Amino acid sequence: MLDNILSILIFFPALAAMFGFVVAKDSIRAYGVTVAAIEFALSLFLWYAYDPAVSGMQFMESLPLIPAFGISYLLGVDGISLFIIVLAAFFTLIGIASLPDMKRMKDMILTLLFLQMTMIGVFAALDAIVFYVFWELSLVPMLYIIGAWGGPLRIYASVKFFLYTFTGSLVMLVGMLFMAYFYHQATGTWSFSILEWYRLILPENIQLWLFVAFFLGFAIKVPMFPFHTWLPYAHGQAPTIGSVILAAILLKMGTYAFVRFSLPLFPDASVFFMMPIAVLAIIMIIYTAMVAYAQEDIKQVVAYSSVSHMGVIILGTFALNVEGISGSVFLMIAHGVVSGALFLLVGVIYERRHTKMMSEFGGLASVMPHYATIFGVMVMASVGLPLTINFVGEFLSLLGFYQQSHMMTLLAGIAIIVGAIYMLAAFKKVFFGEVTNEKNRNLPDVNKRELVALIPLVIIAIWLGVYPKPVLGPINNSVESIVQLMHEKAVTEEAKARIPDLTSTIVINEAKEETK
Amino acid sequence: METYLYIALFAPLVGSLFAGLFGARPKTIIAGLVPTGLLFASLVSSTILLTHVLAGNTVHVELMTWMETGDLYIPFGFVVDQVSVTMMMVVTIVSTVVHVYSIGYMDHDKGFNRFFSYLSAFVFSMMVLVMSDNFAGLFIGWEGVGLCSWLLIGFWYHKESATWAANEAFIMNRIADLGMLIGIFLIYWNTGSLQYDQVFAAVAGLEISTVVWIGIFLFIGAMGKSAQFPLHTWLADAMEGPTPVSALIHAATMVTAGVYLVVRANPIYDIIPEVGTVIASLGAFVAMFAASMALVNRDMKRIIAYSTLSQLGYMFVAAGLGAYWVALFHLMAHAFFKALLFLGAGNVMHAMSDELDPFKMGGLSKKMKGTFIMMTVASVALAGIYPLAGFFSKDMILEVAFVEHHYILYTVLLLTAGLTAFYSFRLIALIFHGEERYKLFGFDPHEAYKYMLWFMAPLAVLAVIAGMMFKGTYYDMVTQLLPAGEYHVHSAFTYWVMTIGTQIFVGLAIVYAYRKYENAKIDKKVESGFFYQLLFNQYYIPQFYEEFFVKPYRDLSMIFWKHIDLKVVDATVDMIGNTFYKTGKETHVMQNGNLSTMLRWMVAGLVFLLVSAIVFAKANDIFAYMVTIVPGLGA
Repeated sequence: MLDNILSILIFFPALAAMFGFVVAKDSIRAYGVTVAAIEFALSLFLWYAYDPAVSGMQFMESLPLIPAFGISYLLGVDGISLFIIVLAAFFTLIGIASLPDMKRMKDMILTLLFLQMTMIGVFAALDAIVFYVFWELSLVPMLYIIGAWGGPLRIYASVKFFLYTFTGSLVMLVGMLFMAYFYHQATGTWSFSILEWYRLILPENIQLWLFVAFFLGFAIKVPMFPFHTWLPYAHGQAPTIGSVILAAILLKMGTYAFVRFSLPLFPDASVFFMMPIAVLAIIMIIYTAMVAYAQEDIKQVVAYSSVSHMGVIILGTFALNVEGISGSVFLMIAHGVVSGALFLLVGVIYERRHTKMMSEFGGLASVMPHYATIFGVMVMASVGLPLTINFVGEFLSLLGFYQQSHMMTLLAGIAIIVGAIYMLAAFKKVFFGEVTNEKNRNLPDVNKRELVALIPLVIIAIWLGVYPKPVLGPINNSVESIVQLMHEKAVTEEAKARIPDLTSTIVINEAKEETK
Repeated sequence: METYLYIALFAPLVGSLFAGLFGARPKTIIAGLVPTGLLFASLVSSTILLTHVLAGNTVHVELMTWMETGDLYIPFGFVVDQVSVTMMMVVTIVSTVVHVYSIGYMDHDKGFNRFFSYLSAFVFSMMVLVMSDNFAGLFIGWEGVGLCSWLLIGFWYHKESATWAANEAFIMNRIADLGMLIGIFLIYWNTGSLQYDQVFAAVAGLEISTVVWIGIFLFIGAMGKSAQFPLHTWLADAMEGPTPVSALIHAATMVTAGVYLVVRANPIYDIIPEVGTVIASLGAFVAMFAASMALVNRDMKRIIAYSTLSQLGYMFVAAGLGAYWVALFHLMAHAFFKALLFLGAGNVMHAMSDELDPFKMGGLSKKMKGTFIMMTVASVALAGIYPLAGFFSKDMILEVAFVEHHYILYTVLLLTAGLTAFYSFRLIALIFHGEERYKLFGFDPHEAYKYMLWFMAPLAVLAVIAGMMFKGTYYDMVTQLLPAGEYHVHSAFTYWVMTIGTQIFVGLAIVYAYRKYENAKIDKKVESGFFYQLLFNQYYIPQFYEEFFVKPYRDLSMIFWKHIDLKVVDATVDMIGNTFYKTGKETHVMQNGNLSTMLRWMVAGLVFLLVSAIVFAKANDIFAYMVTIVPGLGA
């Protein structure tokens, strides 16, 4: 079973969804929860079986698809993808378990199961074409979720989401084809395997062009400023479950792809574009945080806050050292947990009042104390308070980038100020003050179904904040191997200097040990 | 000893979680008693650790790893040494008293259980702050106390002013925390560690400019927590919280965290005396600046808050001039008498149905004898009258400034000492003496519960004896870790002139305050004067911040959203989309299947192609011709 666990993880939900079409409507929730629970258990088993001491790919599977062009069904996980896969399985589970009653419930659950297939496929794929297929397939269920269950502007929002990200991805596909072509030129054989590509050393000017092509696809997905405007619409119109999955998992595809493709394939280009990207990241952090502050709709606050946090992740990724990249990968998980939880929480209030305008609320802390407490914990996690999950990622990302640029980090650090401003302001508007709106006076507090989703998230947000080691350790090992690979592949002097050589530091550390 | 360390540290956390279990329920007395009991256990453990440290030992434990990646290694490590044990004693003593006091004070409050949960959580964070053995652990506590401060200032969350003040405090502290974070990054990338012992060992070998930057950024962090100018406005607004909170957090413990940081990082600041001088100058400025605002304020709690600010300034003068042990000593003494003063003020507030204007009180000494005595003791101590605690700690700072030849600082501090005495006794005179003006406003004051007064008594005793009794022992203990330095004026004559002079000066200020305010006469002419208005409006700084930071930020955010994000960034995207869409829509008639239309287009296309062929050919000819008439153009 271990040999094929990744394939099982990918195709089990899809297969179950096929069977789901014949399940009775009344039992579809139970069916969906069971499938998602099995899937989550499998992902936990994957984590259990994963050897944290190994930095390379594990559970590899390979099956030639189009041998003439070197396209194969190639899967594997390392510390970077492992936890996002677990997170995807986890969010699908709690998403289905806490799904409120809605029209066409069955379609929704089956769509979610298909979506799960594509998500896990993206993070497990090691062949560029397979990766691309899952990457694009993931758009379809999300398009359907927004378009079928969304708000009044759902068609506009879903089409925008689809076309915008699709356009970026096509450029990325061209980049992939060129990459394979260059590989063919250099070695005489065709291959789309990322691991094979890692071994190829490209001249700097080619790296720059390919980097830009990949960048466009990833940046729209992240989304990076100024490609972010599809996100507020998508979140604004999507049903709660759609926003949760979108924020927690789908956005991570972009940042994950930066770590998986851009950095190791194009180390010199990464160094070349480090500062421009850092500038974009800082604009993302400060500008979108200010936009978030101006919002009147609580869901939009969370949506823009996502963009702001993604800025920190990008910054950490382009720190190009172990501290920064580990931090950014950790922050991907952290942001998934926290923003997912915040969207769930917004859903709780939306379901009761069918509005998300903050001016409609006020004084909820006395009406719904448990809800206010959980929201408060997540706000503090989002603000990045130490001992919550976000702090670890944010701290390491910024710490990492500090090695590259002092001033840029100082500017990016404004994240901790502006983040507090919009979050606390929103929290104050919704929860503090007197209850002024009669409709809010008798709102019921969170119910059991909602707690099933929220309590585990609260536990994770604090547990991984206090003790991040189980996740940070494997991430660290895999990141170290990427950084070392980048250092060795780099052709320019500047890149060699910017990307640390880990072997030399190990020698220094050993020397330190000896002198002790 | 490790067991005691863990009890001292984690007992408040357990208490907080216990009270938290009852959080949303109506008042449960056990939710107050259990945290208090656990805190007492923490106090006892701290005392045992103190005796251990006095015997010349320290305790250092490492609980577990926190973060580990790349070369970074941060454990949860805790150290009980001479400095941290002093802080631990201050924190546990004051918070135990405040906990017991709060059982009475919060008696009728709906949020009784929640209050104790927050209060104990604060104590835990504060203990983490002072006991951590590395800068990251310090930062955990640093942000933790910030969170608890936010929760407790905004405790009465239905009040707009309270929640506003809570957010202001949090955000202003965050600004400073960024400085602190940058300081931590600098330390890590230059020394490769965040552990105190390793950093302090490595710091001597660094370039001086790097150390200067580290010192500056760490101090920016300290400025936020300790509310130094220009990040001071949150402290006065923080008085919106319940009074026990003001006593514990905004007087005795949290606001002194900045001083603790400078004292703890003394090996860094020792290398950079220039930065130290700046710190001391800023401290002296804040001491006087805050005291001046306290002179005219008509809000009892704000007066005490400004007094706290002023005393924090004193501590920074000492710390900045390298007299770390003096700073820490004043921190300790100040914690006792200032907490006492606040708790007394809490009694008065309760008696007066939360009235804060001392001009509406007067003559309360008859009704509230116990409170009157304790607040007077605290004020005498604050004024620095022999033999109370303030004399030994505060006058010592004056001597430090004098001995270090910072005569300007000395003069400022001396004047401030006069101001301090004046505003303290202005308050006492207004509240407790003179006519019983409260009758006019229909108040019916009553003394607080007996046990509250009894539990305030230890603070009163400490305020009296802390200077006399502990100074020697304290000095011997902390100078094992901090740089020793006896700050004695060399000539005995000068010393006596200075000491007696200061005492007389302060005494005169007290007498003047009494004479002036015993009858609560309001001098209309003075009140309409420029200086009075300037001071009363806090130098217009809050208004300035509102006008020049808060409003522009709000407006700019609005512009970013409505005008840039929607109208520029998003509109561009839509424009590109619409261009394709419209082009398709407009041109689809070309292929409507009508033969004559299509033939027409075919002709049009043919003409277009022919014309372009000719144009290109001609253009080429012209180009070739130009090349012949202007030689070298084409090359």
